Amino acid sequence: MELKGYLNGFFKFDDFRPGQQETIESVLTESHTIAMLPTGTGKSLCYQLPGYLLDGAILVVSPLLSLMQDQVEQMMAMGEKRVIALNSFLTPQQKAKALTELERYKFIFISPEMLGMDFVLASLRKLKISLFVVDEAHCISQWGYDFRPDYLRLGELRQQIGQPLTLALTATAAREVRADIAEKLCLDQWKEVVYSVDRPTISMVIEHADTFQEKLERTVELVKFLQGPGIVYFSSKKIAEQAAAYMRENGVRKVMAYHGGLDSESRILIQQQFINGQLDVVCATSAFGMGINKENVRFVIHFHMPLQIESYLQEIGRAARDGKDSTAILIYSPGDEQLAFQLAEGELPDRYQIERLFAYLKDHKLGYKELAQYTEDLIRICGFTEIQWRIVEEYLSSLSHTDLDLDSHSLIQMIERRLAVKNGKVRKMIEYVHAQECKRSVILKAFNEKPEKRPEYCCSICGVDMDHYKKMEPGDNEMLIKLDWKQDLASILLLSERIK
Amino acid sequence: MGVTYLESVVLYLLKTIKGERTIYSLYHLFQGKRSSQTIQDAHLYQITPYFQVFPSVTRESLERMVKSLRDRNLVKEAAESKVIVTEYGMETLERSLKEKPLPVFMNGWKYHQTTEPFWERLTLLVQVCSNLVHHESSYIPVRNKKDTLFWVKQYISKQGINRYILAERLYMELASALDHENTRPELVVLRLTGYKKIGLTITQAAEMAGLEPSHYHFEFLNTLHAMLDTVLEKASDYPLLSGLVSQGEREVPLTLSTDKTYGLIQKGYSLEEIAAARNLKQSTIEDHVVEIVLSIKGFNIDAYVSPEKQKKILQAARDNSARKLKQIKERVSDATYFEIRLVMAKYGEEQWN
Ligand SMILES: [Zn+2]
Repeated sequence: MELKGYLNGFFKFDDFRPGQQETIESVLTESHTIAMLPTGTGKSLCYQLPGYLLDGAILVVSPLLSLMQDQVEQMMAMGEKRVIALNSFLTPQQKAKALTELERYKFIFISPEMLGMDFVLASLRKLKISLFVVDEAHCISQWGYDFRPDYLRLGELRQQIGQPLTLALTATAAREVRADIAEKLCLDQWKEVVYSVDRPTISMVIEHADTFQEKLERTVELVKFLQGPGIVYFSSKKIAEQAAAYMRENGVRKVMAYHGGLDSESRILIQQQFINGQLDVVCATSAFGMGINKENVRFVIHFHMPLQIESYLQEIGRAARDGKDSTAILIYSPGDEQLAFQLAEGELPDRYQIERLFAYLKDHKLGYKELAQYTEDLIRICGFTEIQWRIVEEYLSSLSHTDLDLDSHSLIQMIERRLAVKNGKVRKMIEYVHAQECKRSVILKAFNEKPEKRPEYCCSICGVDMDHYKKMEPGDNEMLIKLDWKQDLASILLLSERIK
Repeated sequence: MGVTYLESVVLYLLKTIKGERTIYSLYHLFQGKRSSQTIQDAHLYQITPYFQVFPSVTRESLERMVKSLRDRNLVKEAAESKVIVTEYGMETLERSLKEKPLPVFMNGWKYHQTTEPFWERLTLLVQVCSNLVHHESSYIPVRNKKDTLFWVKQYISKQGINRYILAERLYMELASALDHENTRPELVVLRLTGYKKIGLTITQAAEMAGLEPSHYHFEFLNTLHAMLDTVLEKASDYPLLSGLVSQGEREVPLTLSTDKTYGLIQKGYSLEEIAAARNLKQSTIEDHVVEIVLSIKGFNIDAYVSPEKQKKILQAARDNSARKLKQIKERVSDATYFEIRLVMAKYGEEQWN
């Protein structure tokens, strides 16, 4: 049978999205493959479909717990029962149980640190692994914008489980990053399936506002003018909340803020309300959108610029998944650069925090093995944020010997190198914002791509008629607040025929 | 000038503790701190309904609120971190409560361990049933805790009835259990998720109901606890709903560590032996015993305080309205603080109220 037949049989889709078929074919011919597919093209299908055609388990390494969890839930929601996530969410008992019955599972998602554990490796070695998938593979590269030290061992671990056929997936990785991925994973030969980062159905617009207030007002104006649904991205939880409140005061009714500071119930509800069409707009931090599959997002507004072009592409890529014209608008105001640099720096621990940490380790004669035990104290004493602490902990726990003076020095150097990389990324983002040439071509150049033909609605430099994205539907009819709670309850639990 | 609902609750509690405890005791009460001091005080002042009903409160927000109450002359400082309600404060409180009464069915102490799992299971059960009757198998559960998902799945298959009957039963039980006067069932129903209808978040529900978020929160708990009262009293009439509360969660529970101590006490170990065996301080074990006395009615303390000494301590406490351990200790010099705390824990409520 042709691949398309399987696609239809297993997933009920008629057509592949760009890059899927080439990637799957490459994998099925037993070639190690690095696939760079734009976000929203359904990367997971690239290992799910081979999963059904290959004999043996698919092992997927994924860097973000939330992403992994979403992926597993979606597969379960689609009716796939043979899927499991091995990560720190499992209790030791659940972990032990899962490991003894691994052969029951077709799709095994695993976090890099779990993969590094000896007893896990031992269980995995007993399995037939038909495909080793590295998701978000750019995290393995020091050049990548989201470098994660715990990804560095993946090459070695891959050797230990018998060098299985490998698929590295990423949304955005320039050429040098792809070469780095292959090297770190110890692939001698590999195929690359590289799909353009270009999303021709999304126009790229930069607007300017002189002040914060002006920016806020312009955002509300846009949200009211544009056809929804849409997402507005902020780099601060507080401002996302403020903006959502401001929008509500100004007549945008179905809008909510979404960020990591919300409790988990609210996060799930808001996400699902958005998917279900109960919300038109979400004022979000970058925490929103991962793993969300909503086809008809019509606009993405950036109230703050992201810290790198890669994130920007990922975020605007949440629009237009149904292939219909959509727009991405970034509103810039003077001072945004400083904010971006500050945020980039704030993600990393600073020299004083590191020095304080090592002074404490020295005073209390602690080794790196005991870090986890003292996490709370250390975070408090050194004033680390969660992200900062994760970086420090990952680095130190990867060291085999303890030499406080040397390690303190090398950690500070590592952080300085990463800060330089991050600052470089921010500068590229700023250049993009200020570029006086076609925005699309600036992005393509950043990824060593040649611009092909320009879409009609290209970018603010080429000129975009915003009326194209104007709200079509008249204001939705006000949903009446039902006062009869029993009727509400009945409409949830009884088939609608019965309550008439 | 009026007060917000949360302010009226705080004023009420401040009035009740009469400046004998610091404002931080309210913080611990709202947080549901499992220290013997907090648990003892909650019983002593009969404010157990407020135990752990507002865990999102912070020290700072409480300080800010008390300062604002002071600035408006509703309370005045009695001592460091202690305030008493002024006459004006009393009047304002009374007026406010007439309009927006306190949540009478809310019972934080009784249900603090039950509320969350019950609500998690209920919301998930409703969502699953709703999708079942609509033949929708692909949706994202509103709960992401593995334990909850597994529990509800098991629970449904255990019922062994077809989906339509299950959903209808759930409807009947909910419609009846929520129908409780002086509560607001719509505040609960707004939050429920079903087939192609996602429930509202707390903030949204509060806005929809036109309540300030903290008022919504207390009304919601009030309604939920009233429903729990109904469901657990007549469990046979509410098989589906009462089954959502696990047996262990119905008793006022002990903290894990206290429970271990309790187990050892029942086996006949002395407190010294328990401290040694568990490698804990004697004072920690003593805290556990106080918690046990507060939680388990009928727990006999004669082994720790002789009946005569109990009488002496009670007598001293009776003459001493300030309820200070220290003052009792001065009168009964041969009693230890631990013994006094035990007696107060055991007889506290009957004694003073
Ligand atoms: Zn252009």
